[in-house]
Amino acid sequence: MKKTSALRALISDTFQEARARWLFWGLFALSSLLIAIFLFVLKIDLVQGAVTFMGIQSTSRPVGDIERFVNSSYSWVSIVLYIWGTFLAVFASAGLIPSVLEAGRISLLLSKPLTRTRLLMGRYLGNIAVVSLNHIYLICSVWIIIGIKTHIWEPRFLLAIPISIFIFAVLLCVVVLIGVISESAALSVMVAVALMLVSTILAQRQIVVKLLSSQWSRDLWMAFYWIIPKVFDLGSAMKQLILFDRQVDWITPIWTSALFGMVVLWTAVYAFQKRDF
Amino acid sequence: MTTEYAIETSGLEKVYRSRFRGREIRAVSNLTLRVPVGVKFGLLGPNGAGKTTFVKMLLSAVNPTTGRAVLFGKDARDPEARRPVGYLPENHRFPTYLTGSGMLDFYAALSGMQPSARKKRIPELLDLVGLSTWGDVRLKKYSKGMLQRLGLAQALIHSPRLLVLDEPTDGVDPVGRREIRDILNGLTGTGVTVFINSHLLSEVEAFCEYVAILRKGELALEGKVSSLIAGRGFRVCASGVPEEALAEIKVLGAAVLPAPDGVEIQAVTREQANLAIDRIRAAGGMIDSVAASSSSLEDVFIRTLQTGKAA
Repeated sequence: MKKTSALRALISDTFQEARARWLFWGLFALSSLLIAIFLFVLKIDLVQGAVTFMGIQSTSRPVGDIERFVNSSYSWVSIVLYIWGTFLAVFASAGLIPSVLEAGRISLLLSKPLTRTRLLMGRYLGNIAVVSLNHIYLICSVWIIIGIKTHIWEPRFLLAIPISIFIFAVLLCVVVLIGVISESAALSVMVAVALMLVSTILAQRQIVVKLLSSQWSRDLWMAFYWIIPKVFDLGSAMKQLILFDRQVDWITPIWTSALFGMVVLWTAVYAFQKRDF
Repeated sequence: MTTEYAIETSGLEKVYRSRFRGREIRAVSNLTLRVPVGVKFGLLGPNGAGKTTFVKMLLSAVNPTTGRAVLFGKDARDPEARRPVGYLPENHRFPTYLTGSGMLDFYAALSGMQPSARKKRIPELLDLVGLSTWGDVRLKKYSKGMLQRLGLAQALIHSPRLLVLDEPTDGVDPVGRREIRDILNGLTGTGVTVFINSHLLSEVEAFCEYVAILRKGELALEGKVSSLIAGRGFRVCASGVPEEALAEIKVLGAAVLPAPDGVEIQAVTREQANLAIDRIRAAGGMIDSVAASSSSLEDVFIRTLQTGKAA
């Protein structure tokens, strides 16, 4: 009970700090901006024409065609939200780990009857809670807008929420590790964003491996591919899932990314335990 | 579990190693110290003597290189050992986005207090430190003195059995200092052990019953303040006294200071001085001189540090 109360206090403190530092409101405002852009795009003539052409607001075209078009739109929109949301979340959360490690703040926290693991996990979960609220707001709002406009409510679109939160949770492990080691928010962002970009490059393995001349370079490419969290692959899998493609392998990018996250988070906890403050 | 000591350290040591050059800095060296339950204990030393490192090792903010720290019989690394501890760090940085009440509520929750207990205790503590009308104001509006008093409230909120204060009056004006001292004096007789880390000798002399002086990370002196600053005491200088005999003399209540040619024993009474002389002679030590003495804690402090330099 006492332990739950302490963990809840740490999560709530992360929320309060995010609010006070305008990170929470900044995320909310930028998500609102994207929602406003969607509203605007759905109102412009081009989209209105496509909607009319596909007969979504009439009954002249077969229902299957219309649904495929809408699902395809949903899947592309989900990718946009996935990328937008993850980038914003990484930028917003980077400062929340180093801030708690400031001298005079961390020594008092460590004097409390808490393990260092619990302290770090409280901060980690608080970060995820802040970002989850934003993801739910962003993705649900866009879903409602598309639903109202097309009268097709695709619940699979909402898969973008847990998948976006999951990939953020994995990248946050990296942010936490870099934050604990270097206390630098900028470096944390640099590394997390670099991982996102590297993941995209490594995911082109089927093309690149054919172009590489030596076996060792192909093996190295594949080794990196398996180690690095699969931000790109997970986004693609999400798109395919929304398109109701039953063949898509979404389990592999999930478990490999989760494993990466766990190893990195464990390393962060270990480094945190060994550090003197 | 009942224990005689609030703090016990044995052979506590912290060595910092620079990452690339491999250079070693011994911040605290082989420190063995015992603080009895219920006393007011002052830790003194010049800047860089290792006082803050020692306090941080007690609270597990710094991992000792060797040795062990125990709080109320429990290893200081065990989080449960820190449950009865209230701490006010030096140069604290409380989250400025919180209000006074919010800050107390946050740290009380981390100390394991339940919401109902916190709700009752927060107004009491704000009242105790004279901030009852400031509870809903964000900390960024607080002055340095107010933050220090709020920090003290934070350290006291869960009714700790050990209060560790690192430079509690640092940067506080004389009126604020007096208020903090009054609050701490209010703890007299409650059984709370107060451990103060300070360089303000007059304050420690006025408030503490026991002191220890650190010099270059080593324990240079330890004893009862009344023994060390005895107004009409006796100073016994001796040489060739074995460690066991010195330990027995300490038990008598006399303070043992290092001197260039041996040791200097500060005895409060004539009887204490005679008993100390008996022990020294029985152990084969030589009495160099015996004289009546009177000194302040500042005299003792300066002498202790100068002895170290001479050595």
